[in-house]
Amino acid sequence: MQLKKPKPIRRLLTAATSTLLAGTAQQVVAAEKTPWQVDSAFLYYSEQDRVTVYEPVVAVRQETGDDEFVGMRLVLDSMTGASPNGAIPTDSPQTFTSPSGVSTYTTPAGETPLDSSFHDTRAAISADWEMPLDERLKAVFGGNFSREYDYTSLGVDATFSWDLNQRNTTLTTGLSMSQDQINPVGGVPTGLSPVPTTAGGQKSTEGDSETKDISGLLLGMTQVIGPKTLLQVNYTFADEQGYLTDPYKLLSVLDNSGQLRASDPYVYEKRPDSRQRQALYVKGVHQFGADVLHASYRYYWDDWGVTSHTYDLHYRYELAGGRHYLQPHLRYYLQNKADFYHYSLEDNNIPAYASADYRLGDMSTTTIGLKYGLVLGESHEFGARLESMQQKAEGDAPFEDNTAVIFQLNYSFLF
Amino acid sequence: MVVATEPSLLLERHDGYFCSRFHAMASPCELLIETTDQALAEHLGRLARDEALRIEHKFSRYRDDNIIFQINHSHGQAVAVDEETADLLDYAKFCYELSDGMFDITSGVLGKAWRFDGHTAVPDEVTIEQLLNHVGWQKLNWSRPQLILREGMQIDLGGIGKEYAVDRVAGLVQAQTDCSVLINFGGDLFSTRARQAGKAWQIGIEQPDYDKLHKQAVANKLIEITTGGLATSGDARRHIIKDGKRYGHILNPKTGWPVHGAPCSVTVAAVSCTEAGILATLAMLQGEHAEDFLVTQDVPYWVVR
Amino acid sequence: MKTMSLILLLALLAGGCSSMGVQPWQRGHLAKQKMQLDPYPLDAFLDDHIYFSKESSSGGAGVGGGGCGCN
Repeated sequence: MQLKKPKPIRRLLTAATSTLLAGTAQQVVAAEKTPWQVDSAFLYYSEQDRVTVYEPVVAVRQETGDDEFVGMRLVLDSMTGASPNGAIPTDSPQTFTSPSGVSTYTTPAGETPLDSSFHDTRAAISADWEMPLDERLKAVFGGNFSREYDYTSLGVDATFSWDLNQRNTTLTTGLSMSQDQINPVGGVPTGLSPVPTTAGGQKSTEGDSETKDISGLLLGMTQVIGPKTLLQVNYTFADEQGYLTDPYKLLSVLDNSGQLRASDPYVYEKRPDSRQRQALYVKGVHQFGADVLHASYRYYWDDWGVTSHTYDLHYRYELAGGRHYLQPHLRYYLQNKADFYHYSLEDNNIPAYASADYRLGDMSTTTIGLKYGLVLGESHEFGARLESMQQKAEGDAPFEDNTAVIFQLNYSFLF
Repeated sequence: MVVATEPSLLLERHDGYFCSRFHAMASPCELLIETTDQALAEHLGRLARDEALRIEHKFSRYRDDNIIFQINHSHGQAVAVDEETADLLDYAKFCYELSDGMFDITSGVLGKAWRFDGHTAVPDEVTIEQLLNHVGWQKLNWSRPQLILREGMQIDLGGIGKEYAVDRVAGLVQAQTDCSVLINFGGDLFSTRARQAGKAWQIGIEQPDYDKLHKQAVANKLIEITTGGLATSGDARRHIIKDGKRYGHILNPKTGWPVHGAPCSVTVAAVSCTEAGILATLAMLQGEHAEDFLVTQDVPYWVVR
Repeated sequence: MKTMSLILLLALLAGGCSSMGVQPWQRGHLAKQKMQLDPYPLDAFLDDHIYFSKESSSGGAGVGGGGCGCN
C-alpha cells in the first residue's frame, strides 16, 4: 500500500467541509470511557480441629491507554485456630511453652500437639501495570507488599510476552525479586536448641529478626493448537537465600526406648539457609461444544530433596440457557519428603538440619470441588464454590490427616 | 418510556432527555434531545426525519426519480445539477485530490464484481480490468453546474451520504434550539453542544469477537462524546474467504481489489460527522497503515482489527 | 543436566510450533473469557495461597507474588 509517510490533511479537510456545511462544532470533545473491572471474592477455609481462615479480596483493573492496563489488589486474611507444632503424640500429656515463652499449653495424651497461639491478620497489597512495548511485545511490571504482625514481604516482578506466528505462539519471560523479614514472637530461636518446657523458660535466640531473599525466573510458551485448543508449557526457577526455617516449629527427641528423652525432649527445627526450586508445568485448554476443559500437570523438584506431582482438572459445564455453569474440580498432589524431614529425632543422633513439619513429608493432597457461576451481564458475574481438601501421610511417618473445607463466593462487575 | 408515536416516528422520554427514533438510509436513526419540552422534542424529531428522508430520496442510487438516477443514466450527455448536488460534487473532487485518488465516488461499479457474503468466488482479473475502465474521477468532466459522465460510469454518494445527512440535520437543529442534541444515524453521529452539568452522550462501539487475546474478554468500547462528530467505517461481517485468505470489503479504486490488511472497523472523531467519515474511510483504505495515517491526522480514533 | 534438556525441549517446541495455529478471523472462541489460560485470576490466586501454605511446592504457573509466614 502507500509506502510514503501519510500527509496531514485534516486542516484542509475541515476547511472544505465547513464550506460544504452550514455550520460545524467549534471543537471535538470525544473520549473513550473506560470502566473499572472489579473482581471481589471471599474465601472461607476451615480445617477440622485446626486452622480457620477468612479471606476477603478485591481486585480492580482499568484500561488506561491503548492496550495499557493498570491493576490493584487488596487482600486481608484473618487466621484463627491451631496448627501442629511438629511434636509427635505420646501416651502421656505434653506441655509446651508458647513462642513468647510467657505461657504454656498442654496437649492431652494420644493427640497431635497443636499450637493455638496464632491469631493473625495479614494484609497484602499488589499493583501491576501492563503496557505494550511494540506491536508484538508486551510487558507487565508489578509490585507487592504484605504485612502481618511477625512477617513483612516486599517484592517486584516483570514479565515480558512476545507474540509470534500471527499471535499463535507467545513466548514469556518473567523475573521476580522479593525480600521478606521475619520477626518471630520471642525472638529467632537457635536451630536445634532445646525448647523450654516451663513457663518463663528462656529459649536460645539469634536475635529478633531475620531476612529471606527470593529471586524467580519464568520461561514459558503458549501455543494455539486450533480454534478451540491452547497449550502452555512453563519452566520456573526460584532461589531462596536467608532464614528459611519455621521459627515456631519443633521436633520431638526420643531416647533409645522410643520415649521422649528426659531432658530437653523437644528442639527447634532447623532448615538449610538456601533453597533452589524448579518446576515444569504443562496446561491444556480445550472447548467441547460450549463446555471447556482446563487440565494441567506440574512436576516440581528442589535441592532439599522435595519432588512432587500436581494434577489439576476442571471442566466447565455450561447449563441450559448459556447464562450459568457448573464447574467440577479435581486436584491431586503427591509429594516426596525433604532430605531432612524427620517424624521425630533420636537422642545422640541429631542431624545438621531437621524438620518435622508434615508439609515437608511424604504426603498427598486430594481436593474435590464444585463451582457454580452465574453470568449476569458483560463482565458481571457471580460465583460460588465449595471444595473438600484432604491431606494424608504417604510414607512411614504416621502424621494425622488434615481435612479442610473451602468455600468461596465471587462477584465481578464493571464500575 | 414511549410517549408518542406516529407512522415512522417514535418518541421516548428518558431521565433528562427525549429520544426520537425513525428509520432512514437503511439505518436505525435517533435524535437524543436534552430537554424536558416534549413539543420541542417532537418538532426536532420530525425535522430530522424529514431531512434524512429528503437526502435519502435525493441521493439514493436505488431510486429512479432523483438526480443520481439522471446522472447515472445520462449516457454521456451533460447534466445540469442543483446547488446542493454541486456542493457535494465539489467536495468529492476535493477529497479525491486530497487523498491522491483513494477516495473516489466513481468506484461504486466495482461492487458488481464483489459480493461480500463470505462465500462467492473471487472475481477474475479480466472482470476487474473491464470494470476499472469505468472507474476514475479523472475520466469525468465536472464544470459546475455541468457534469458529464462517460457511458458506463456511475457516481455513488453512499460513502458520505449518511454523514452529510447527520451534519445537515445538526445545522437545522442548532437553528431551532440551544439544547444539546445528539444525532445518531446508525453509528454516524454528531453532538451539537455540551450537555448540562458536565454530562456527556455515551455511545457503545461493538467489538467483533475475534480480537487479540486479552487478559479478559474484550468489552464493547464506550465512547463519551461532548461535542463534535463521530463516524465509523467498516463492517466486521462483510468479507470473502478464499484459499484461506480473507478479503475485506473496502476496495482500492485504483486496483479494483480489496485493500490488504484493512482493519475490521475505524471510528474517528472530528468537528463534523462528514469529516470524521472521510477520515475513517481514508484510514480503512490505508490497510495495515491505518493507525499511522490517523496518528498523522491528530484526531481521536479507535481501530478494531 | 535436567534443566538444560528442559530448556532445549522448550526451544524445540517453540521451533516446531511455527506452523500450528489459526488465522486471525478464527479467534472467536479463543477470545472468550472461559478459554483464557487463567479465566478467574482471583480463584487461582486464592488456591495458590492455600496450597503454598499447606504444601512444599510452588511455581509453575507464574512468577513472583509475595510471601507470607504461613503456618
